[in-house]
Amino acid sequence: MSGLFTDAFIIALLAGVVAATVPLLLAGLGEQISEKAGVLNIGIEGMMLMGAYGGFYVAWASGNLWLGFLGGGIGGMVVGALMALFCVRMGLNQIVVGIALTLGAEGVTALLHYEQFSRLYPRLSVMAPLPIPGLSQIPIVGPALFTREPVVYLAFALVPLFVWLFRRTQLGLMLQAAGDKPAALDTAGVSVLKIRTIAVLATGLLVGFGGAFLSIVAAGVFVPFMTHGNGFIGIVLAMLARGRPTWVMGGALVFGTCLSATTALQVAGVDVPTDIIQMLPFVAVMAVLLVAGRKARLPAALGAAYVRGER
Amino acid sequence: MTNGKVKGLARLLGGAALALAIGGAAGAADLTSIAILTPEQGTDYGWNQQGIEGAKAAGAAAGVEVIVAENLGYGDVRPTLQELAEDGAGLLIAHASGYNTAAPEVGAQYDVPVAVVDTPQSLKEGAVADYTASGHQGAYLAGVLAAKMTRTGTVGIVVSGEPPSWNAQSTAFAEGVKATQPDTVIRYAVIGPAAYSDAAGGKRVTESLIAAGADIIFGQGNGSSFGMLQAVETTKATDGGKVLFIDVIGDKTPIDKGFLLSSVLWNLEPVYAGMIADVKAGIYGTHNYDINLKDGSVDLLKTANIPDDIWTEVQAVRQDIIDGKITVTPKYDAASVHALVTGN
Repeated sequence: MSGLFTDAFIIALLAGVVAATVPLLLAGLGEQISEKAGVLNIGIEGMMLMGAYGGFYVAWASGNLWLGFLGGGIGGMVVGALMALFCVRMGLNQIVVGIALTLGAEGVTALLHYEQFSRLYPRLSVMAPLPIPGLSQIPIVGPALFTREPVVYLAFALVPLFVWLFRRTQLGLMLQAAGDKPAALDTAGVSVLKIRTIAVLATGLLVGFGGAFLSIVAAGVFVPFMTHGNGFIGIVLAMLARGRPTWVMGGALVFGTCLSATTALQVAGVDVPTDIIQMLPFVAVMAVLLVAGRKARLPAALGAAYVRGER
Repeated sequence: MTNGKVKGLARLLGGAALALAIGGAAGAADLTSIAILTPEQGTDYGWNQQGIEGAKAAGAAAGVEVIVAENLGYGDVRPTLQELAEDGAGLLIAHASGYNTAAPEVGAQYDVPVAVVDTPQSLKEGAVADYTASGHQGAYLAGVLAAKMTRTGTVGIVVSGEPPSWNAQSTAFAEGVKATQPDTVIRYAVIGPAAYSDAAGGKRVTESLIAAGADIIFGQGNGSSFGMLQAVETTKATDGGKVLFIDVIGDKTPIDKGFLLSSVLWNLEPVYAGMIADVKAGIYGTHNYDINLKDGSVDLLKTANIPDDIWTEVQAVRQDIIDGKITVTPKYDAASVHALVTGN
């Protein structure tokens, strides 16, 4: 085993942490916006899958990976628009609609894949990394964390942006009010439905980016059902982080780290049942966020449709 | 109750039993359609495609219509099973280990025989049979091939889960490697629990194994195998050379970019043909089904990446297995796999 932990292996494990973390981070941040505004967005698994398909299709058709990300964001927003229509505008049950949208997205993307790619399984080229001057020269950590695809840096840059948005801007305040006291927001002359619609569309955009990251960067290929529950884990991260973007990032990093750790333990030949090793990410995230986030709270009107004048 | 009434009742029951038996036999002989349910599309060059193509071929040979319900996912398929049973399917082939609870229940509900995988103990006369098909003999050959071809002395096994079929093949592959080059290091990793469609996970884990020195990857994964393939195509081995991929079940040659070393090919047609014949003969559920090298239902794919001399040596081992000189025993439990790959 002593010869196993070479620089190359450790770099691959750390790169694996990043690859596993980014989709969860984008999904968790996206879900957080919806939850802030009072919408429990169960449909993000479907948004992510549509983003993965849309991203892959556009990247493959155009030969431009960046356009692919745009396609992924639009794909996620299409599902987000349906969520906004049914849950925000029509006031239907958010959980039922979310599940229906996920199942629908699974079917649609599988059908589209069947028609277009199922005989060819095209794979995309690798996105060129962007080394961060100075930091990329650090042994092991440099190549693993600071010689990454530009979208990785952008994803992590969203965290301080969201902290600023939630704490320092009027939009953040309106999002908070739409989730906590929608009637008060309405009384102040701001449309609750509009704020919630914007939030759900923004969720679709972000989660779609997360799906596009999976198909364009993390896998380089699209296969049906490839999100493999990443969207649902994003919901868990957002619920447990309770409004704090930094905790979403922390949870996603813990999860990604544990995923790589499970690979390391298995490759090292640690003789523990695989099922127990693979419980590690889930247990770790739950433990960390339950302990650290227990004082935080969820929006009072989360999951409740807003109807003016109704108590 | 008088003696005469008892005798009369016994005759009535006996007659009813006979009528049921005759009726059942007639129904079996009249088998006109069967159905196969798969979790993913039948275009994956793997498990799903092999299942559907095998069923269609067996059905065509027997003059039986084959109804295909594909891309059903890994959730609850009871509604689909019920619909197919109501449509008259005389055999339900539940082609996913995740279906092996629902299928026998629905089969019992509609009195339709069902075929399941990964639960040999579920065998029930007239009702349930298992086809935990394992290409372990082919996987052993793949291990022999990998041991002869590796430059770094390290090979990797990546799996999308630990179902019995995968375990039997992983174990046999490791045994084939060790029998050929005992000092070869074998690295093993599972992508995740039932990560059959996790292509991103497949790529991530495969890249880790390549970084750990593996220059040949034996991958078992359904949809996730395309992530493994992408990893070998985009990552160099630690010696700077090419990483090669050994697949299972299907033949990915049409989409290969020059990295496919081989594949443990399955042919499920004989399995399904046997099931159809047994249903017609009224003996379904009296035994399980498998695949093997001898009848050609398992084989190893020859590609341009395999030198002729090594292929000849591998074929000699193949003949030894067929002749019984080498016995490859299937080991379906994960512990057997771990025992072979632990402590390298």
